[in-house]
Amino acid sequence: MRRTTAACGTVLLALLAAACATSGQAPTRQADRDAPATLSFWSTGGDDETAIFQKAADLYHREHPNVTIKVQTLSWDDAYAKLLAAATSRSGPDVISGGMTWTIQFGARGAMVDLRQHGLDALKAQAQPAQWESATSPDGSVYGVPLDMSTLALYYRTDLLAKAGLDAPPKTWDELTAAIGRLKAAGVDKPYSQDWGNLDWIGYFNYLYQAGGTFYTPDCKPSLDTPQAERALTYWVKLYREHGAPTASVEASDALDTGTALVVGGNWIAKGIDVNKPKLKGKWAMTTLPAGPAGPTTFIGGRAIGVTSFSEHAATGADFVRFMYSDQAIAAIVEEARKRNLPYIPPRPDKVVDSSSFTPDQARVFERAFRTGKAAPGCPGWDESAPDVSKHLQSAILGKADVKTALAEAAKVMARNAG
Amino acid sequence: MANPAPLRSRLRRYGTSYTMLLPFLGLFAAFLIWPLANSLYLSFTTFDGINPAAFTGLDNFRDLAQDARFMHVLRNTSVYVVASVLLGTLLSLGLALAFNGSGWAHRVMRTVFFLPSVTSSIALMLMWKWVLFPSDVGLANTIVSRLGGTAVAWLATPGLTIPILVLMSVWGGMGYGMVLYVAGLGSIPQEYYEAAEIDGASAWRRFRHITLPLLRPVTTYVVVTGLIGAFQVFEAVYIVFRGTNNIGGVLDSGLMIVPYLYDQGFTHFKLGYASAIAWVLFLIIFVLSLVNLRLGRAMKEL
Repeated sequence: MRRTTAACGTVLLALLAAACATSGQAPTRQADRDAPATLSFWSTGGDDETAIFQKAADLYHREHPNVTIKVQTLSWDDAYAKLLAAATSRSGPDVISGGMTWTIQFGARGAMVDLRQHGLDALKAQAQPAQWESATSPDGSVYGVPLDMSTLALYYRTDLLAKAGLDAPPKTWDELTAAIGRLKAAGVDKPYSQDWGNLDWIGYFNYLYQAGGTFYTPDCKPSLDTPQAERALTYWVKLYREHGAPTASVEASDALDTGTALVVGGNWIAKGIDVNKPKLKGKWAMTTLPAGPAGPTTFIGGRAIGVTSFSEHAATGADFVRFMYSDQAIAAIVEEARKRNLPYIPPRPDKVVDSSSFTPDQARVFERAFRTGKAAPGCPGWDESAPDVSKHLQSAILGKADVKTALAEAAKVMARNAG
Repeated sequence: MANPAPLRSRLRRYGTSYTMLLPFLGLFAAFLIWPLANSLYLSFTTFDGINPAAFTGLDNFRDLAQDARFMHVLRNTSVYVVASVLLGTLLSLGLALAFNGSGWAHRVMRTVFFLPSVTSSIALMLMWKWVLFPSDVGLANTIVSRLGGTAVAWLATPGLTIPILVLMSVWGGMGYGMVLYVAGLGSIPQEYYEAAEIDGASAWRRFRHITLPLLRPVTTYVVVTGLIGAFQVFEAVYIVFRGTNNIGGVLDSGLMIVPYLYDQGFTHFKLGYASAIAWVLFLIIFVLSLVNLRLGRAMKEL
């Protein structure tokens, strides 16, 4: 009897749960635009970054006294889960920022506003074209626009290169392998390592595009079965297996500090080296990644910013997103970022050199990378495929599969997830 | 059927007690039964967390049976569970036998081995991450290079992933098992040993025929809780082995059931599928615990 009651209770609860979970969603009622409004902006990153975006929000408040925008921090570790929880409960932030493809993912499920409704597709003219494309959904919807840019650079120890008789960093793939050989011959134990993208698709991305390949064709068919893709992976695998690039990732400034001569790392590394590793001052420099047979194409990352579909202030939120592209907003953000010694590159290529928080010399290196850079594929199923693609690349690097098989397997996964 | 009269008298007698239980029952229902019922329902649906769930019957479970990655996860988890529970239990028993005295030296040693159990697991995992730091500045690699070896890519070598996870789990958990075993050893009457000694039983035979059988309830408890804990391993994988784009280390070599569940549910919007994984995990643990309790013939003692 007691068991039956318990069983009935459970079934009843399950049904209640079902009823709760299946309640539909109606479009969010919009608040009066002229009434005072407080918007919340969940910014993925550190507290310091929240503070620099708050400067732009304060500036917006000065121009629109009715509107207050509160920026709150989501740490990278749990941002995605928190945003998912907010989307499920349809409450929380009006504006969100996060990984480049997040807004597409949330948008595809109805949790983001298509910013074209508010005319934000006009920002395309100001953005880096490849990054814009990457933030745009396959169906053309714009659920998020780039908030900042990041890329990779080749950091090097000038003293170790001099020791090997190299007066300039390698500019091509061939020069890179030659330089590694000469460094080894000169007694440098750790000639080359990779930080951002090590053993990961982002690392392969650079070689793939530098060899003239792509992950997908323009109509989103997997294109890893090309000679270019094979050439890129063969070269990358060689860097690990013949030239001793470590499979374990060490943060780029740590790697430089512990005697690695050439390190591929994210642009943000440049900001911290002199402060965190004072010993390295004057002993390091940076340049763009060595170019492949098809050119110097480098990965462009960054964050996207968008407006949630459950916001009551969608139009105001969209206006704030547009404001983030204005000269004055960028100036306010950069001023604060410089004060706090934070890496920040605005999403407008024309602003990189004079309005990033990096020194002009450093910014010029990044600007060169942005000029020919490409961003993550925006094709359907890419986000689901990325971890598996990385796994197949790893099996080639670790010698568990040959290059051709690894690429064929990766392409199979991409085709399956493309639906 | 319940008779109204005794019910009323029972209410009069226990009414206050039931009222006092209500806050707990409320919390229990809201934070345990309710989510459990929800997840059971969701395991039969596709639910992306945002759009309404759509009922799909047993599709999630059928997909799981064909999911090569899930099979890999099950293999990984089995190896990890067997190794960590076996080693953990043996070492707990060994430590308990070594340090079950009441002298200060034994007490100090017991405290030392128990310390990992009272430390925050997140802090422990971060510490392990630093010990295994891949560059030659990591503690493990410093020792290796002092001994004349070359630096090892601890966290990027697939073959080392599960042994490292087992090491972390055994190191962190054996002190807890030891304390339980020490309590178990203390409850064995000394007379049995004296009688055996008079009969001329060797130390091994005394251990084999007195200590081990009388420790069976403790062993059952240690193994069952160890199994449950090992199947649910998450922090170790999530903190120590997560890469930028994957959660389970190089080539998924450390991907276990719960990290996979988290990955599917919270980074791939497949909450229905993740719920199905959770219920499969529940079934596995349930069946194994039952088998274990039967094998230990310790139903009564527990």
